[in-house]
Amino acid sequence: MNLAGTLATPTPTPATAPRHEMPLNPFSSYFLRSSSLRRSLLASLRKVSPAAVSPMASASTVAAAENGAAKPAEKQPPPVQVAKRLEKFKTTIFTQMSMLAIKHGAINLGQGFPNFDGPEFVKEAAIQAINAGKNQYARGYGVPELNSAIAERFLKDSGLQVDPEKEVTVTSGCTEAIAATILGLINPGDEVILFAPFYDSYEATLSMAGANVKAITLRPPDFSVPFEELKAAVSKNTRAIMINTPHNPTGKMFTREELEFIAALCKENDVLLFSDEVYDKLVFEADHISMASIPGMYERTVTLNSLGKTFSLTGWKIGWAIAPPHLTWGVRQAHSFLTFATCTPMQAAAAAALRAPDSYYEELRRDYGAKKALLVNGLKDAGFIVYPSSGTYFVMVDHTPFGFDNDIEFCEYLIREVGVVAIPPSVFYLNPEDGKKLVRFTFCKDDDTLIAAVERMKTKLRKK
Amino acid sequence: MEAKLSEASRRVTPSPIQELSKLSQRVGAINLAEGFPDFPAPAHLKAAAAAAIAADHNQYRHVQGICDILAETMRRDHGLDVDPLTDFAICCGQSEAFSAAIFAIIDQGDEVLIFDPAFETYQTCIELARGVPVYVPLDPPSWTLNEDKFLKSFTNRTKAVVLNSPHNPTGKVFGKEELLIIAQACKKMDCFVITDEVYEYITYDENKHISLASLPGMQDRTIITSSLSKTYSVTGWRIGWACAPANIASAIRNIHVKLTDSAPAPFQEAALVALTSTPDFYSSLKKDYTVRRDYILQTLTDFGLRISFKPQGSIFVFAEISRSWQLSDMDFVTNLITSAGVAAVPGRGFFHTGTDDPSYHHRYVRFAFCKSDDTLKAAAQRMQKLAGSEAWMRPDVLTRPHH
Repeated sequence: MNLAGTLATPTPTPATAPRHEMPLNPFSSYFLRSSSLRRSLLASLRKVSPAAVSPMASASTVAAAENGAAKPAEKQPPPVQVAKRLEKFKTTIFTQMSMLAIKHGAINLGQGFPNFDGPEFVKEAAIQAINAGKNQYARGYGVPELNSAIAERFLKDSGLQVDPEKEVTVTSGCTEAIAATILGLINPGDEVILFAPFYDSYEATLSMAGANVKAITLRPPDFSVPFEELKAAVSKNTRAIMINTPHNPTGKMFTREELEFIAALCKENDVLLFSDEVYDKLVFEADHISMASIPGMYERTVTLNSLGKTFSLTGWKIGWAIAPPHLTWGVRQAHSFLTFATCTPMQAAAAAALRAPDSYYEELRRDYGAKKALLVNGLKDAGFIVYPSSGTYFVMVDHTPFGFDNDIEFCEYLIREVGVVAIPPSVFYLNPEDGKKLVRFTFCKDDDTLIAAVERMKTKLRKK
Repeated sequence: MEAKLSEASRRVTPSPIQELSKLSQRVGAINLAEGFPDFPAPAHLKAAAAAAIAADHNQYRHVQGICDILAETMRRDHGLDVDPLTDFAICCGQSEAFSAAIFAIIDQGDEVLIFDPAFETYQTCIELARGVPVYVPLDPPSWTLNEDKFLKSFTNRTKAVVLNSPHNPTGKVFGKEELLIIAQACKKMDCFVITDEVYEYITYDENKHISLASLPGMQDRTIITSSLSKTYSVTGWRIGWACAPANIASAIRNIHVKLTDSAPAPFQEAALVALTSTPDFYSSLKKDYTVRRDYILQTLTDFGLRISFKPQGSIFVFAEISRSWQLSDMDFVTNLITSAGVAAVPGRGFFHTGTDDPSYHHRYVRFAFCKSDDTLKAAAQRMQKLAGSEAWMRPDVLTRPHH
């Protein structure tokens, strides 16, 4: 019995969604009623905020909400002693929104991955690698060919020459590079500074490492770094600062001035810098600058990146960390006990991808630039206050013209009444209040999808 | 800047085994050290993976079908009733599944019992989560579970037991009675078991793999981990899973999402094909590995090593250096690499109880036999040649041990 054919699409796709619409969520068979979704989302928010209720109660509330829908008659198992660190771990906002999206047949501009596929030459390279037998364990820190390709690309992009053997570590996606960096280099009690809003794995992983997290909020309209606030926050107690440039969810790109200011603080206080640069090829209005290339910073910087966003192959899980040898060692230690090695045939294909000619990157920028224009103009026409985004494939907008109190309520309304999914970004802040007026849209979708979504918003959104 | 390394990563040091690995590469030794096949992955699986890539299954994804099939298989083979919707986490290999499971249940100071000798990775995962590994020695020569030592290892901080069966490095398959002892103790002390069942389909003779979770009272407290790697000879694909009661599985999934987000999508698709292989596939797997096992046992016996315990499962044999040879495992392996060009793994890296216990920790060598016929034959020839030469056994010819 070969199930591969019947199971090619893991979940049913609603008839109204575009052909390329892919079900996004892991647990598509969960159909939560929206009120229980709201309860679990708000419970999540409470856990994220400093004034959290008892962590264990919150954790079991979320678990019960998730499981209750599937097995209503099941007797409750005895309270299980999961680790305290799980306070910070909850079903992600992406999953919750996606579940609601499928239920309502909404167009998904929430979760940040393309509904179009990667380039043929990269896929071909992977198929060739599989057929050529590259299916066994790769060297833990990366297939030599890929480490070299990463180093070559980094040299072109940043001007920095790094040793592929000693300074490049391949991981299962940038998510793992982040986890390995944090677990390998952060001690319990270390102070780490983040910029809010932040990608949700940063805070959760820092919590796993037992770090004390401080967040500096980036605010609209330009989400610029508040220099005085940052300076006041950094001290000799600070172990690391994490930046994400180009920045998810705002689309901001850290300017040279901002990077130099942060660099000065790092050098003065002997602070490490973790820089997540996965969107470095999706830049529109400015040049991407790697923190590692700022004078004096390479020795204290870990640069994180991946294949997925640049080559529309987010499911391949090929990422990497570039750092000087003394920092790489810590990253590799953690990595070898998190996943041991990274998918072998995809590494071979990634090496081919990274050797793509400049024309590939130019075309990528052009295509995404056009999509961005499509979405941004549509959002403006629909009545949102749109903040300029110079990088990534995200746009942040203000939804308050439509009269909702917070982002979650707005996003639920958007799914149910308008048929479009966006992400409520309040979960990306330490203080959710900071994000409640904002919404994140993505434009990494084919043009038809974007056009259809914009149409729905223009016709159905009502200003208050 | 080295002061910036975390305490956890600093405790981990490069092992003598890594040095031997470099030596082995330098001389181009035949690799009977590492547990991955040098024969091709099954053609129909490679085709399935290639098809998945071509069909655009390349974005973040969770393939629910994997859980459905696994649940059905577990019901059929082990009588386990698991819910495919809630009880699974699909991870980047069993490595990540184990890691996520540890992070899900281990708090600072929690103790985790591990049977010794043991695969090296468990300890460091536990320490990364700030847990405390506690080793329970299995008794040579047959690596039997010593009930007394086992029960005495529990304290009020014991949170979990790790059970790897079939076992790396010894090839032991824990029997029903031993599993009952483990089950009873875990129920009494109310702790978890995390199983590593990656060799579940590779058992020999009458030995059957029994899933601990299938014993009465155990499903509620057992986290099963396994993967495609060894069964389907695709160690480089990184598709594994954890199966546990719903609320534990949920915790593991949440951690997994923060560690890697998802397992490689096209290989999840190919997993659907792998996991629905015909019964012929599994019986051939067993048959082929039995032939390889018997072949290498003959090779090693002819060479003069003692097979004090015949592997009941897994792809490893833990051979004993005869007492008449005044030779440590490191010396033996070093010499075998340099004089015969065959690499194996010194057993000392798998033992953790007590330091430098001379009685047996330095007397074992692990050989992997998940290798093609040509490889095994070539290794046998090289070893025969060396065994025939006088030079092999003389202490003054030995290279200095690498530390």
